[in-house]
Amino acid sequence: MIWQLASNSLWRRPIRTSLTALGIAVAVGSMVIFLSLGEGLRKAFASQIGSIGPDLQVSFGDFDASTSFTTLPEIPLHYLDDLQAQSSRFGITRVTPLLSHFRAGLSPGNSFVFQGLPASEDLANLFIDFQVDAGRSLRADDEGKGVAVIGAQVAKRSQLELGKQLRLSGDYSFEIVGIVSSSEGIVDNSIVVPLTSLQAALGIKDKLSFITLDLEEPARAAEIATQLKEVFPNLGFQTRSDVLGVLEQGVRITDVVRLGISTIALIVGAIAVANTMMMSVFERTREFGIVRAIGARPRFLFALVLSEALLLSFVGALAGVILGRLGMIAVNNIATNLIGLEVAALTPRLVLFAISVAFVMGLMSGLIPAFRAARITIATAMARE
Amino acid sequence: MLRAQELSKRYVLASGTVQALKPFSYDFSPAKVTAILGPSGSGKSTLLNLLAGLDSPSSGSILLDGNDLSQLNESARAELRLKYFGFVFQSFNLINILNAWQNVAFPMGLTGLKQEKRKARAFELLSHFGLGERLYHFPHKLSGGERQRVALARALANNPEVIFADEPTGNLDSKSGAMVLDALFELAAEGRTVIIVTHNLELAKRADEVIFLKDGELTNAPVELGQPAIP
Ligand SMILES: Nc1ncnc2c1ncn2[C@@H]1O[C@H](COP(=O)(O)OP(=O)(O)O)[C@@H](O)[C@H]1O
Ligand SMILES: [Mg+2]
Repeated sequence: MIWQLASNSLWRRPIRTSLTALGIAVAVGSMVIFLSLGEGLRKAFASQIGSIGPDLQVSFGDFDASTSFTTLPEIPLHYLDDLQAQSSRFGITRVTPLLSHFRAGLSPGNSFVFQGLPASEDLANLFIDFQVDAGRSLRADDEGKGVAVIGAQVAKRSQLELGKQLRLSGDYSFEIVGIVSSSEGIVDNSIVVPLTSLQAALGIKDKLSFITLDLEEPARAAEIATQLKEVFPNLGFQTRSDVLGVLEQGVRITDVVRLGISTIALIVGAIAVANTMMMSVFERTREFGIVRAIGARPRFLFALVLSEALLLSFVGALAGVILGRLGMIAVNNIATNLIGLEVAALTPRLVLFAISVAFVMGLMSGLIPAFRAARITIATAMARE
Repeated sequence: MLRAQELSKRYVLASGTVQALKPFSYDFSPAKVTAILGPSGSGKSTLLNLLAGLDSPSSGSILLDGNDLSQLNESARAELRLKYFGFVFQSFNLINILNAWQNVAFPMGLTGLKQEKRKARAFELLSHFGLGERLYHFPHKLSGGERQRVALARALANNPEVIFADEPTGNLDSKSGAMVLDALFELAAEGRTVIIVTHNLELAKRADEVIFLKDGELTNAPVELGQPAIP
């Protein structure tokens, strides 16, 4: 009976009810989109980096979320030889230097990630399911020359083709000699050039961004990392799960920001519900007086108003989840075009979270109006016109 | 039996206090229609609201079969109204988001009666008052007389002991008014206590008992009514 009365009275003011529900839908929808970004990034990292990448990654100093994503190379070049010299002792099968450079452009289509790798390195050893879609891969004699192989995604995104020149800085440009792809997406989004060529172009001769190590026994990566740290105290050694952990840490920092924005949206939504319920209680004072006169207890009106707030929040939240889902599809379309990743994901726990948030929101915003409704005095309420 | 003992009501306003009802004692007889008469502002509605437990007295008590209403808390008083009292108001006071049968069924729902049972009883009551064709009409689609008959049906939903009516015919044409009054007299004949606040001298003449209020005080009825106020 209470639900019938609750839905009837919400329907009595269809426009106000719909607008309030829309407000909640937008609040919950934006929360869903914001939070789904984190879920999507986590999924993407887990599937892309968890299964691939080097056994150990070497950084200069410790590797953490605040410093690791800067593009400035920091590792002195001599560590490359120092690590080579220790390779048999630690069961290192391959030491690969990497110089990376992010060239920011005005639009994502004009932004490129350059990866400088030794031209003699067979890219098939570094990337899973590596394949050359057009042209050729890098060869040892490319070292020092202005040539590049580019990922298929980059080619598509920036409309590049074989033979085109990519300008990095004033005098240096790279001719595209190959378009390549792999199953894990990193190379797809990069421009791979010979290490010495990139060093020359950037004017950085003595520093590297990363060194990667492949091990005889990848399962012992963590243990070997600890041993290496004793020999090279200035370096940091990260296993795959360390890297994932740092990425997770990075996502978690954005969690705070995204939750903050969502919370503001939700508070605005809750105020809208509270306002609607307060107006509705005020308008219906006389009706509430009648209901109390014919025998309803104060708690009946309390429950009635709270039910209305909950109903309103639930309907709004449901619409919000749908709205969020649509928004996510749009976000993912854009993200797939730009960086080849689905960044947003609607997980069941996110839907559950959105619904529970709406429940709490309905409860909180309905409480004060419900108390007001329960506390009316019958005679004065009925005297109202 | 409903009994008022030294019942009084004082309203305290910023501009001063209003003694709306001076100490009032009266025994309301079952199976009788008691009319409360008096000029506007004499305290009739105040008295009715106190008797029905819709307002709390400044002093005195209301006893229903020996139990003091004014000692009960809000919830207990609501339950008592639900089970023992029925109400008919001048302005009908139907719940306008519920249709006719839902209005009548509402007090039954509050007692926890099952949906089919309350629907059946609501239909039966409405048909009794000649509204068998108006079961699904919302209040704004009904005429004043029809609304008041829905209100009567609702007042009877839980088979109450006492019916309170505050100017039940005040907003009705004479034909509808007569119909409603006949119904109220019939209810008294069934053994219920019926208390009607009214301006209507015809009704007062028909009533079994008459109370005349002036300035919140029980007085002798004007001579033309020919009935003593104090039994
Ligand atoms: N809620 C209230 N607050 C203040 N004064 C009131 C209130 N209700 C009634 N009164 C006053 O009490 C007196 C009696 O009112 P009422 O019982 O409504 O009279 P009647 O029903 O006989 O016209 C009037 O003077 C009225 O102004
Ligand atoms: Mg009155």
